[in-house]
Amino acid sequence: MSDAPVPARQPTDWKTQAMQRRIRRRYAAERRFRLMGLAAIVISAGFLAFLLVTMLGGGLRGFTRTEIALPIDFTKAAMIVDPDVIAGGGDVADRALANAGLPRVTRDAADQAFGPGAERWLSDGAWLSVRDAIKADPALLNKRAVIDVPASTDIDSAAKGDPSPAATTALAKLRGADAIHTGFNTAFLSEADATDPTVVGIWGALKGSLLTMFVTLLLAFPVGVFAALYLEEYAPRNRWTDLIEVSINNLAAVPSIIFGLLGLAVFLNTFHLPRSAPVVGGLTLALMTMPVIVIAGRNAIKSVPPSIRDAALGIGASPIQVVFHHVLPLALPGILTGTIIGMARALGETAPLLMIGMRAFIATPPSGLTDPATVLPVQIFLWSDEVSHGFVEKTSAAIIVLLVVLLTMNGLAIYLRNKFETRW
Amino acid sequence: MAFRRGGVRRFSALPGHYGWYVALWAVIPALVFLLVWASVSPALVTDQVLHDPAAQALPQFDFARASILSEARHIARGDIAAGFNPLSTTLAPAYAAAQSRFDGIGTVLALILAFAGGAFAYVRVRPDFRARTRVERIVMVALLAASLIAILTTVGIVVSLLFESVRFFRMVPITDFLFGTHWSPQVIDSSDPGATLGAVPLFWGTFFIGAVIAMAVAIPFGLMSAIYLTQYANPRVRRWMKPILEMLAGVPTVVYGYFAALTVAPAVRDAAVAIGIQWASSESALAAGMVMGVMIIPFVSSMADDSIAAVPSAMRDGSLAMGATSSETIRRVLLPAALPGVVGGILLAVSRAIGETMIVVMAASGVATLTLNPLASTTTVTKQIVDLLTGEASFDSPKTLAAFALGLTLFVVTLLLNIVALAIVKRYREAYE
Repeated sequence: MSDAPVPARQPTDWKTQAMQRRIRRRYAAERRFRLMGLAAIVISAGFLAFLLVTMLGGGLRGFTRTEIALPIDFTKAAMIVDPDVIAGGGDVADRALANAGLPRVTRDAADQAFGPGAERWLSDGAWLSVRDAIKADPALLNKRAVIDVPASTDIDSAAKGDPSPAATTALAKLRGADAIHTGFNTAFLSEADATDPTVVGIWGALKGSLLTMFVTLLLAFPVGVFAALYLEEYAPRNRWTDLIEVSINNLAAVPSIIFGLLGLAVFLNTFHLPRSAPVVGGLTLALMTMPVIVIAGRNAIKSVPPSIRDAALGIGASPIQVVFHHVLPLALPGILTGTIIGMARALGETAPLLMIGMRAFIATPPSGLTDPATVLPVQIFLWSDEVSHGFVEKTSAAIIVLLVVLLTMNGLAIYLRNKFETRW
Repeated sequence: MAFRRGGVRRFSALPGHYGWYVALWAVIPALVFLLVWASVSPALVTDQVLHDPAAQALPQFDFARASILSEARHIARGDIAAGFNPLSTTLAPAYAAAQSRFDGIGTVLALILAFAGGAFAYVRVRPDFRARTRVERIVMVALLAASLIAILTTVGIVVSLLFESVRFFRMVPITDFLFGTHWSPQVIDSSDPGATLGAVPLFWGTFFIGAVIAMAVAIPFGLMSAIYLTQYANPRVRRWMKPILEMLAGVPTVVYGYFAALTVAPAVRDAAVAIGIQWASSESALAAGMVMGVMIIPFVSSMADDSIAAVPSAMRDGSLAMGATSSETIRRVLLPAALPGVVGGILLAVSRAIGETMIVVMAASGVATLTLNPLASTTTVTKQIVDLLTGEASFDSPKTLAAFALGLTLFVVTLLLNIVALAIVKRYREAYE
């Protein structure tokens, strides 16, 4: 202990210029810091807004399609097909129509109606519309009819205000003949993938997604809920339970592509399940979603107060009855919210499905769990790789559909949470 | 209740439990039998077909034999109309007959088992029979089995990755793979496959995009957002802005990838060309990394949010009472105190970023270069896994197997990152509790 006298400290004089300047500097730093925080938020939110606006701007055009009213005189057309066979319907009619040379007939009709070279104004899939029209009304084959067929990508983007020089004159000619109109593209919501961007649809991919999600939900939900119940309510604290907990927490953080490798090695190469099938996709995504459901489920179960359990036990319920009659119903809203969020994540997942071969070109919607299928995010990925510029707006349109589905699911989760959440 | 009032002896379980008991006995043994039968019967069917006179003509070689048999099976099932080999068409009826015979046997046996099980259980049902305990024991087993699936999945991942990787490392020395600096799987010299399968450029690219560029975006934005939302924003702003930020994490990665490839990458390239860098790649590491960083913002933000909230308020109040401004309190007191939690969160975010696939698949290039230049093209582990496995190569080539070795590396690295991060976060939480 030194006895040196402590010099009496002068109280700080806050009024001096130096001090005032120092305070001003500190306050300025405070304002700058605060502004930086605000800027960080605004820029992050701005990025989200920019992303959505870009997708909307490009994608809304994808929901419309330009169609040309094409007059076809079937009585003079060079096609050999019996109207009675078509009227009979079934496979016979389909085969007869497929071999009737409709693509040629459609192209000739365009040249006749709008002058030579007009066949290039039509989409490659234009004859499909003619086929469907004949299928719907075989009587057309005996007369001259006007059928709306999709226009080519060039004409389509010209009609939507993005003309190329060649398409401009064609467009003027078609407008002059009053044979062109742009309307809502119902085919986009009802068809599957195709090689021509003017006739593609997302229904095939959407149906594949729904089937895959069905398998995922069917497996991940019961297993996830059961595992959560066991770990939270019954598990003794020992090394085994620790191991289960550690693996669940780690599985939740494993990159999704690893699950794809697992699916490829186990489901395809070991069990020889069919490639690109919704059932394999569903299995793979279920393994990925299950940890999410377990973690959400455990939190929901944890929040049910012990008094409920004690009361049920007190009047003679068995541990299983306590859980299934009381704890589970009370925790269910929380579990469901977690499940929906996990399912939304699985629905947007692409990488693991690429690994198990769901990137094939599939032109018909899958009709079962083992049919080759693709899913919405993979379809977006495939279209984004296409060179034809007509696919750009279709990709953005598919993204809009995906985002709308995801937003609905998340909205449902938030609604459920707000409606059923109990504060104990 | 009714039966007790009548003076009958007490039942030891609810009526429903007896019903469940009988039902479970009827269903479970039969189901187990069907599962076993499904795995055994194909061999029995094939065995019977081989005893068919027509099968004497089968070639002795295993491969040709198996392919003809498999064709015959498909014809018998009606999957295909005719086989490549005429022998398979002659074998098909024998196959169909054997199949239907064993299917019939299986169905009858399952029905007998179901009936026997049900009858056995029904006979045991007595008023003093403890059906509830028995039923609940089965429910317990089901619950335990469900939670074991998590372990099974982990084991499945490790085993399948290890198995294929070991096959890969038999062809390519592990040192070549881990330390080689030349990666071009398109040209594999079969005498020395390790020469073009050195993964160091991939590890660097992954680290550069995921841990450097992405974090350079995500850390400042995520951290500042968390600070603003917890310390400055009023509750209403907080209630609105938090979900909006979280939406960034909810956008599917394929959408980010499309956005990065179509909008950000050309913009980055144009900007680079505008300032005089003519050689800027249109598949630059910068574009992919930036978009990935934006995706990671909410992770960093919510982890930082949690750790800042866990700092005892006495420390904050003390600092403010000494006359420090809010920003001084945050920078000198809250952040240092929350640092372990923030670092743990950042490690988790890095593990997330290096495992991210779609953004790099769509926006990064496939050319592996060892470069420090963010405008040059770089590739990542995940991008290469996708590229390797979507080619035409057969499953036994070093090219396809390399994907599993890369997957194993990725798995191990993310696992280590997660364990370290969780340990840091946990220890830090305990320090303040």
